[in-house]
Amino acid sequence: MALDSTKTEQSHKSHRSRQAGPKKKSKSDKKNKNVSDSDRKQNPKAFAFSSSVKAKRLQSRTVEKEQRRLHVPVIDRAYGEPPPFVIVVQGPPQVGKSLVIKSLVRHYTKQNLPEVWGPITIVSGKKRRLQFVECPNDINGMIDAAKYADLALLLIDGSYGFEMETFEFLNILQVHGFPKVMGVLTNLDKFKDAKKLKKTKQRLKHRFWTEIYDGAKLFYLSGLIHGKYPKREIHNLARFISVMKFHPLSWRVSHPYILVDRFEDVTPPEQVRMNKKCDRNVLVYGYLRGCNMKKGTKVHIAGVGDYSLAGIAGLADPCPLPSAAKKKGLRDKEKLFHAPMSGLGDLLYDKDAVYININDHLVQFSKADDENGGETNKGKDQDVGEVLVKSLQKAKYSIDEKLEKSFISLFGQKHAKDNHGSVEQIREIEPSEGYHSGEEIEADESDDESDGGVRDGSESSDQDEAVQKERMIKSEDSGSEEDNDALDQQNSLKDRLQERVEYHGGRIRRKAFFGNDIDHDDLKDSDEVNEDGDDDADNKTSSGSDFSEEDGEDQETDEDDMGNISKWKESLMERTVSRQNTNLMQLVYGKSTSASTTAMDEAQDSSGDEESDGDEFFKPKGEGKKNLREGFDDGNVNSEDCSKFIINETLKNWKDEELIQSIRDRFVTGDWEKAKSRNKYPEANAEDDDDAVYGDFEDLEAGEKNERHRTDDTGNVAVQMEDDPAAEERRLKKLALRAKFDAQFNGSESPDEEVDTKDRDKNESGYFDKTRLKKHRWHKKILKNRDPIIVSVGWRRYQTRPLYAIEDLNGRYRMLKYTPEHMHCLATFWGPLAPPNTGVVAVQNLSNNQATFRISATAVVLEFNHAAQIKKKVKLVGYPTKIFKKTALIKEMFNSDLEIARYEGAAIRTVSGIRGQVKKAAKEELGNQPKKKGGKPREGIARCTFEDKIKMSDIVFMRAWASVEVPRFYNPLTTALQPRDQTWQGMKTVAELRREHNLAIPFNKDSLYKPIERKPKKFNPLVIPKSLQAALPFVTKSKDTPSRKRPLLENRRPAVVMEPDERKVHALVQHLQLIRSEKIKKRKLKEEKKRKEHEIEKAKDEELSRKRHREERRERYREQDKLQKKIRRNV
Amino acid sequence: MGKLQYKKMKGSSNLRQRLVLATLSSTPLLIEDIRAEHTLPGLHPHEISFLRLLEKLCDDCSLIINETGTKLKYQPGTIMGGTHDLVHDCALTRSISYFLEPLLVLALFSKKPLTITLRGITNDSKDPSVDTFRSTTLQLLKRFGVPSEGLDLRIVSRGSAPLGGGEVILSIPIVHCLNAVNLTDAGMVKRIRGVAYSTRVSFQFDNSMIHSARGIFNRFIPDVYIFSDHKKGPAAGNSPGYGISLVAETNEGCYISADTAISYGRTEETGEIEEERKELMPPEEVGEQIASVLLGEIEQGGVVDSTHQGLLFILCALCPQDVSKVRVGKLSPYGIETLRHIRDFLGVKFVIKPDPSTETVILKCVGCGLKNLSRKAS
Repeated sequence: MALDSTKTEQSHKSHRSRQAGPKKKSKSDKKNKNVSDSDRKQNPKAFAFSSSVKAKRLQSRTVEKEQRRLHVPVIDRAYGEPPPFVIVVQGPPQVGKSLVIKSLVRHYTKQNLPEVWGPITIVSGKKRRLQFVECPNDINGMIDAAKYADLALLLIDGSYGFEMETFEFLNILQVHGFPKVMGVLTNLDKFKDAKKLKKTKQRLKHRFWTEIYDGAKLFYLSGLIHGKYPKREIHNLARFISVMKFHPLSWRVSHPYILVDRFEDVTPPEQVRMNKKCDRNVLVYGYLRGCNMKKGTKVHIAGVGDYSLAGIAGLADPCPLPSAAKKKGLRDKEKLFHAPMSGLGDLLYDKDAVYININDHLVQFSKADDENGGETNKGKDQDVGEVLVKSLQKAKYSIDEKLEKSFISLFGQKHAKDNHGSVEQIREIEPSEGYHSGEEIEADESDDESDGGVRDGSESSDQDEAVQKERMIKSEDSGSEEDNDALDQQNSLKDRLQERVEYHGGRIRRKAFFGNDIDHDDLKDSDEVNEDGDDDADNKTSSGSDFSEEDGEDQETDEDDMGNISKWKESLMERTVSRQNTNLMQLVYGKSTSASTTAMDEAQDSSGDEESDGDEFFKPKGEGKKNLREGFDDGNVNSEDCSKFIINETLKNWKDEELIQSIRDRFVTGDWEKAKSRNKYPEANAEDDDDAVYGDFEDLEAGEKNERHRTDDTGNVAVQMEDDPAAEERRLKKLALRAKFDAQFNGSESPDEEVDTKDRDKNESGYFDKTRLKKHRWHKKILKNRDPIIVSVGWRRYQTRPLYAIEDLNGRYRMLKYTPEHMHCLATFWGPLAPPNTGVVAVQNLSNNQATFRISATAVVLEFNHAAQIKKKVKLVGYPTKIFKKTALIKEMFNSDLEIARYEGAAIRTVSGIRGQVKKAAKEELGNQPKKKGGKPREGIARCTFEDKIKMSDIVFMRAWASVEVPRFYNPLTTALQPRDQTWQGMKTVAELRREHNLAIPFNKDSLYKPIERKPKKFNPLVIPKSLQAALPFVTKSKDTPSRKRPLLENRRPAVVMEPDERKVHALVQHLQLIRSEKIKKRKLKEEKKRKEHEIEKAKDEELSRKRHREERRERYREQDKLQKKIRRNV
Repeated sequence: MGKLQYKKMKGSSNLRQRLVLATLSSTPLLIEDIRAEHTLPGLHPHEISFLRLLEKLCDDCSLIINETGTKLKYQPGTIMGGTHDLVHDCALTRSISYFLEPLLVLALFSKKPLTITLRGITNDSKDPSVDTFRSTTLQLLKRFGVPSEGLDLRIVSRGSAPLGGGEVILSIPIVHCLNAVNLTDAGMVKRIRGVAYSTRVSFQFDNSMIHSARGIFNRFIPDVYIFSDHKKGPAAGNSPGYGISLVAETNEGCYISADTAISYGRTEETGEIEEERKELMPPEEVGEQIASVLLGEIEQGGVVDSTHQGLLFILCALCPQDVSKVRVGKLSPYGIETLRHIRDFLGVKFVIKPDPSTETVILKCVGCGLKNLSRKAS
C-alpha cells in the first residue's frame, strides 16, 4: 500500500530532448520522415475501403493475432518473500565463468571472492536476492543445474565460437522447462580486426537466435582489464539480471526442492571409524523453493539417491532482505552476502547456533578483559554487545560435538513423531505450548528429553564446558522473566553481526552462542501475541515441542495451563474470536487428535465437549454430537458404513403454519431480501475476523505441510522485530535436513547437491514409464533396444534399459530393435513414477572427453503402467511329416501337445502361399507312429488342414506375437559420491562390451547372401492325348501341317546380275543422290546459324527500342504531371 | 527397498471411505478387528463385493483378507477404469448406491473413463436411491468442474430389497484435477422434482405417494413435479417395493434431496438384524414423510443435504491447492467421520466455523492438490 501511494505521488522528470549533436539530427530526420508518411496517408484512395474480402481477411488476421497473444494465466501460489533466484553460469571450460560470478558479486557487494565454490547468495535489491551457481562442466552437473536454474547465463567464447556444451545445456534446459536464458560472449579482446569482430558477433548472435528465439539477449563482454571484466559492462549485465522477470515453471512450482548451500556430516566419528561404510547422518542447509515440503516425504538427493528425512527445521535467514522502509537503493550494510562453501561470508546459521568468522587481529582486543568479565555471567551492567563478543571467544564447543548432540535428540524426536503420525496439529491451540516448545528445543540439544534446561546445565558441566552453557541457561532464565531484555540483547547483537559482514573477511570460524534458544521461546511468545495463528506451525518446525505431549498429554497440559496462565492472559482476548471455531474443530478432529480416529482418547473427548458447552449458541449441536460420540465410541469401530443420515427424531409437522413461516424464505416464493441477507457470508464480525480467518488458513496449511515460508523460521523473528516491525511475513528459511546416507560420502567433492522430493513415491516399486522418444538429430548413432541409457526424469537421473516400440495400426505395440532415425518411437523403461508430460533427456555417454553431441534422445512421458504390452513378431517353422489329401501332419513347429492345444485354430501358411489351420495334436496314426511298438507316439506333431494339398518340400509357417518383458533395471546415478573428474561407470552397452572383450558381432550363417544358382530347367514336350485332341474344336486343334515340298517364290527366283553399263548407271545415280542430300544438310546448318544470329540481333534491337520507349513515356508522364500540378495549383 | 508402511485402522466403519482415500493417496492400509466380537465376524457380503469391485477396477492392487475376514490388508494400485463390458454383481445386503458413492470419486481419477454395469438392489431405505444419485450427486460433481458429457447414470431396471434384480449403467469421465469451489450460498428453492417408483405393485402406489407429497409442498411452492416410474415385467426386478425420491433445486444451482424406499426386509442369512416390517408403511404416509424430510433438509440451510456432506468434503479436499469454501447444515456423523478420514489420509484439515445467524456451518479447506497422474498424456 505504501508502495502504491508513492507511485501515485511520484512525479517523473520529464524527458528533455537533445538540443544539439547527432541525436538531434537523427530525431529531426525521423520527424521529417513522419511528415512524409502522414503526407502519404493523405492519399485517400490508397486507404479507402476497396474489397470486403480483403477487409474480412485483415480483420480475422488481427483477431487471430490477438488471440495468439492470450494465454492461460499461470497461477503463482507462492507467497511471502521469494527465495533467491538461482542464476546458473554455464559455459565450456576456460571461458570465464567464475570470473563473471566474481565480478557480479563484487558489483553487488563490493567484496572480492577468492574462489567460487558452491552457491553464493547475495541481496541484489530491496526485493530481490540472487544466488549464483557455477555450472560444473560435466553433463551430470549440467543436467542438475538445468533443473534448478531460474536464469542461465550461457558463456560463449567469442574467439572460438559455440561449443557443444552450450547446445547440450540448451537442450537440457528445453526439456526440463525452459527457464530464462541469456547469452554472454566473452574473450572478445582476442580479435584484432574490428570488422572481423563485428562479423563474428553478428554470426554468433544469429546462431544463438535460431537456437532460442529471434531477439534473445546476447551480451558482449569485451575483454579483460587487469584481469577483470570492465566495470561498466558488468554493471549493465547486472542491470539486465535485475529487471528480469521469472515465470514459475509448472514442475518446480509443484515440487519442493532445495539448492544446498552447505552440508555437514554429523555422523559420530566413532561410528565411522568402526565401520567405514556405516549409515551417515548429514545435515543439509538451503533455501526451500517450489512448494511446501510435506512431513514424512522422501527426498531425492541428486547424484546420491533417495533418502528419508529425519527432520526439518526452519533457521534464521542468513541473507535477509532489507527493511521495507522507503529509501532509494540498498544501504551498504544491507548488501549481504552468503557463500558458505566459498569460504567467505561471515555468518553461518545452524539450527541452534550462529557461527561468525572473525579475523584474529580483530578478536584480540578483548582477550584479556574477558578473563575477568567472563565470570560475571549476568553481564547486565556491561555493554551487552561487548559481553557477547567476549562470550564468542570463550566458545569451547566444537561444532562436531554440538551437532552430534543435536542429532541424537532429533532422532528421539523423530521416533515420537512417527508414532503419532499427524497428531500434533491442533495441540498447539492450547496456550501453554508456546513456552513449552522453547524448552523442548533446549532438550533437543542435550541428550535427554525431559526438563531440558536443568539437565542441560549439569551435563555441560560434566563435560567441562560450563561457561558457555551456563551463560545460555542463565540468559534463558532471564529471558523467561523479562522478554524485552532478552530481545534487546538479541537485537543489539544482530546489529553487530550485520555490521561485521562488511569488514571481516574472517579465517577462523568460531562458534557463538547468544542464546538462540532464548530466542526461540521469546519469539514464540511475541509471535503468539502478534499472530496467534502461527504458533501451530512454529512449534512444529522448531519441533522439539511435540514429544512431551505424547508422553503425558493430559496432565501436562493441565499443569502448564496453570503455570503459564499469567503469560497468556493478554492474548486471551484476541483468542476469543477464534475460539469458537477451534471448538467446533476440536469436536471434529478431537483435541488430542490421536492417529486413528476411531481410537479416540475418551478423556480428551470429554474435555473437548465440556469446553464446547461454554459456547451458548452452539449448545444444541454440541450436545447432539456428544450424544452421538458417546454412542459412537463403543460401537464406533464397527458402525455401519452409511452415508445417509436417518433422523430418528419425530419429523416436524410441516402443515403447521408457524413452521411453514419459518422456512418460507427458503423458497423463491418467499422474501428475497431476507434470503439474500441470510446467505451472505457472516460479515458482522468480518473485519476483525478476517485476519483471524486467514491466519487460520496459513496456520492450517502450515500444519499440514510442516513447512511454510513464512511461519516457521523462528530465529529470524528477532531480526525482523528490529528491522521492520511492520513486515508481515518471515522470509525464507534454511532447512536442516538430515538424510541418511548408506554409502560413503565424499563430502568435499560435491559442493552443490539438490535435495528434492517427488510426488508419490509409494513403496519404491517401479513403474513402466511409457515415453514418446526421439533420437536427437545431432546424435551420431541410433540407439539399440535394451542398451542401457541414462535418463533424467523429474529430479532424478538414473540408468535404465528401455525397450523401443512403435504402435501399429491396430493398436499393437511392436518392438523395435533400434530407434528410427527421424521419427518418434515409444520407449518403455522401468523406473520410479513420473507424471505424464514430464520431459526426459537421455544420455548414453557421460564422459567429458567426447567431441560429439552427448544427448542421445529427448522424450516425454506419456503414461505409466504396471505392465508393458510390447510384442514382437515370432515365426514358428514346421515341416510336414505325412501328407494326406489336404491334411498334413506338421512336425517341429511345437514341442508338446500342450502347446498345440494352445494354438488350435491358429492360421498357418506354407511358403508357396497355401493357407491352413492348426487342428489338433496328432494321435497315433500314420506318420506318427512310435519307432518301436509299445512306445509313446511322438509329441508336438500337429494335424493341420490346408486349402490345397501341400508338398513334402513345403515349409509351414505360423506367424505369431510374443510379449516382451521390459528389463527391470533401475540404477540411480551416484555421481556425487565420487570425484568430479572421474566418469561414472554404470552398466555398459553391448557394443562397449564387445569392444572391450574384442568380440565379433555374432551373425547367423543362414542370413548371409549367397549367389543364387539356378539350373536351367528342361521341360518335356507337351503331349496332347489323342482322345482329347479329337474332342477339341478345329481352331484349337493342333494342326498337322505337312512339310512344304516346293520352295517359296523368293527362294525359287534366280539371282539378278546387272550388266556393266547398268551397274555404272546405278552407281552414278547413287552418287548424285548422295551429293544432293549432303548439300541439303549443309544448307540447313547454315540457315540455322543465320537464324540464331538474327534472333540475337532482334533481341538487341528490341531492348534498345524498349529503353527508348520508356524514356519517352517517362518524359511524357513527367510533363503531364507537371501540367496537372500546375492546373491544380491554379485551381 | 523398505518395508511397506501400512496405515493401521480398526473396525469396519467407513470401510468404503477408507479404501477410497487409501487408493487416492496410495497409502497401504491395514484394517484390523473387523467385527471381531460379533456373532457374524468379519466382512459382510457387500463389503467383500466392494473389495472385489475395487480389484476389478484397479491394476496392481493387492487385497489380503484373513480367514475369518476380520483383518484386511490393502495395497492400492492404479485405478484403470475402462469401458469394456465391466459388470459387477453387487451383493444384495446393500443397495447399488453403496457401491456408486465410492466409485464416483475413484473413477474421476482413473486412467480411462469408466462405464460399468451394476446389478443388485437399486432402491433401499439405508442408502440414497439411484434416482437421488442421478438427480443430485451427479449435479454436485459438475460444480467441481467435472465435464457433463460422459457423466451419466442409466437405470435399466429396478430392483427392490430383498431380491434385487435391478441394473444401472454408470459412466463417469476422468478429470485432470478438480476445481476449487465456493459454495456458500444455498439460494432459494425454485423447483421441486422427484421420482416415485413402484415395482411389482399396483401403479396406484405411485400416484398416492405423489399426491400426498404434493399436498405438503403446495403450501410452499407451486413448481412441483414428481414423475411416476412404474416398472413392469423384467424391468421391475424380483421383489415388490415402492419409494420416492425428491430433490429441491435452488436458484444457485444447489440440489437438496431426500428419499426412501419401502419393501420387505431382508432375510436372516445376511446377518443384518432387521426388524421385519410386516406391515409396510402405506404410500400416503411415505410421501408425506419424505416431503417432510426434504423440508427438514431445506431448513438446515446447507448447499447439500446431510447425505451428501461426506462426498462434498472429499471433493473439496481433492481440489488443487486453492481454498474451497462450503456451507452445510448440521454436520452429519458421516460427514464428521469423513472429515477425520480426510485429515488422516490426505492431510487436509478443514477450518470449521459455525454461522450462528443461520445455524449453518462453514467449512474451508485448502485442497491436497491431487492430480490424475495415471491419465495418459495426449
